[in-house]
Amino acid sequence: MTSSSAASRKALSKIACSRLQKELVEWEVNPPTGFKHKVTDNLQRWIIEVVGAPGTLYESEKYQLQVDFPEHYPMEAPQVIFLHPAPLHPHIYSNGHICLDILYDSWSPAMTVSSVCISILSMLSSSTAKQRPADNDRYVKNCRNGRSPKETRWWFHDDKV
Amino acid sequence: MGNKIGRRRPVVDEKYTRPQGLYQHRDVDHKKLRKLILESKLAPCYPGDEESSLDLEECPICFLYYPSLNRSRCCMKGICTECFLQMKPPHSTRQTQCPFCKTSNYAVEYRGARSKEEKGLEQVEEQRVIEAQIRMQQQELQDEEERIQKRKDASSSSRIMAAEVEYHDTSNSLLSVPSLRYPAQSDGYIPSQGSFTVPARQPSHMRQSREDNFDMDLEDIMVMEAIWLSIQERGSQRNLACGHRLSGDCHDSHSIVRTEASPSGGLACAVAALAERQHMNRDSTFLAGSSAPVFSTSRQLSSLPVGDDRIVENYQSEKWPDVSSNCGRMIAREDGDWAMDHRSDLAEAGTSFAGSVVAMDAGAALSEGATMVAGHLPPESFEEQMMLAMAVSLAEARARTNPQGLTWM
Repeated sequence: MTSSSAASRKALSKIACSRLQKELVEWEVNPPTGFKHKVTDNLQRWIIEVVGAPGTLYESEKYQLQVDFPEHYPMEAPQVIFLHPAPLHPHIYSNGHICLDILYDSWSPAMTVSSVCISILSMLSSSTAKQRPADNDRYVKNCRNGRSPKETRWWFHDDKV
Repeated sequence: MGNKIGRRRPVVDEKYTRPQGLYQHRDVDHKKLRKLILESKLAPCYPGDEESSLDLEECPICFLYYPSLNRSRCCMKGICTECFLQMKPPHSTRQTQCPFCKTSNYAVEYRGARSKEEKGLEQVEEQRVIEAQIRMQQQELQDEEERIQKRKDASSSSRIMAAEVEYHDTSNSLLSVPSLRYPAQSDGYIPSQGSFTVPARQPSHMRQSREDNFDMDLEDIMVMEAIWLSIQERGSQRNLACGHRLSGDCHDSHSIVRTEASPSGGLACAVAALAERQHMNRDSTFLAGSSAPVFSTSRQLSSLPVGDDRIVENYQSEKWPDVSSNCGRMIAREDGDWAMDHRSDLAEAGTSFAGSVVAMDAGAALSEGATMVAGHLPPESFEEQMMLAMAVSLAEARARTNPQGLTWM
């Protein structure tokens, strides 16, 4: 698996479990457009397929998101990364890490997997150039030991894309 | 302890004055928490219910259901006391932001269980969401039809295809209601035409699974029609009013649907009338103060970046227009009189919420939209409403039975 230390994760708290179950049910009834949850029996790790929105640079391209939930979800943000190959995007590193504030500092427990997915697709959709972040190589090198993007000190400078 | 005489507030059972164990709370001052709950400044810590019911409200954080919730002072969103206690990370020096609208200096007030009016307003809001979803589906269908039409014009074998399409449409008009037809359409006859491909299968996963669960037979359909007719008769006067309102909505709503003047007007009226009958024995003030019930749908994903869902949020701020009068029970985190001993210099009293502007960033706005949808379609009423919607659509379909069944222009 990519870059996350699944083994060391703590099991979901009771409330995290109950909330995720409800999110999953809601997802099944009403999935966000363009996303498909790959059914597994693992509530703590969701693999979600995303299809680039029509009329955007990523139209019809398929990518996979891996969402790992911490013990204290939703008080803590989930860890969301793209599995290889990650889309070429100015805010997405080649190791799948995503520079998006709501995944880190701006996470709020009122957000859901579904709303996070929508934000990510929106981020993709508004991209005007298929390219890696300027500091991609340096960042990815720093993450070689499998560091979680949640440990990164993100610097959110661009609110346009 | 024994000095509560003369206070006119419902006594809270002692066991609900402490957390029920939803979280492992750290740093909670139980004494202060108890005091705040007994003074009705915070909602009692009722154990959250897993299942929804009419009298319960869902906490948008833990997704459990409670008899009453606290309200954000900034945006009026509900939150249960135990989730609220989690909002400020211990020892954090940063001001806590509202988890819903990101306003800093997050604070809540408690106003008891929702009144009938508030429930009514919420119900109306749900109706609007449903109406908008139906409009969206109609639009999808229309887009689809436009595409077919173009195809028809372009393709040499167009005649056969058109015939097929028409045939399908009329023969199925009893079983597949126009506004709900999209999934069947894309899974069914379109592929069978070989050359035809749906260019962008964008929209409607949204409703799809709900529809799939929605097996209907002729009898159901007839019942629905009967319901609709009776509502139509009974509510003819009232319908004038809501019809007007709702067609206004259509104009506001990004002109999602250009051709729906009659369809959606009738539909909306019927839905609204049902809601009225079901949930309210009150005057029609619920109609006032509502502009543009635009629920911008998942369609926006394909084209619009962010932020459109905030409109839904705006309802929130309209929902309790009389809030400002009720400042006696506000809770502000001041004087160290706060359960978790946060020092924050929030010291307004009697602030008016009526005109408060909800400022939020895109991320929050999006999440709002999503949670609103999740939280506001209680299954009980949903099914009913869909039945009704289908009945209305049926009637429309019938009215539209002309040789060109597919084009609604």
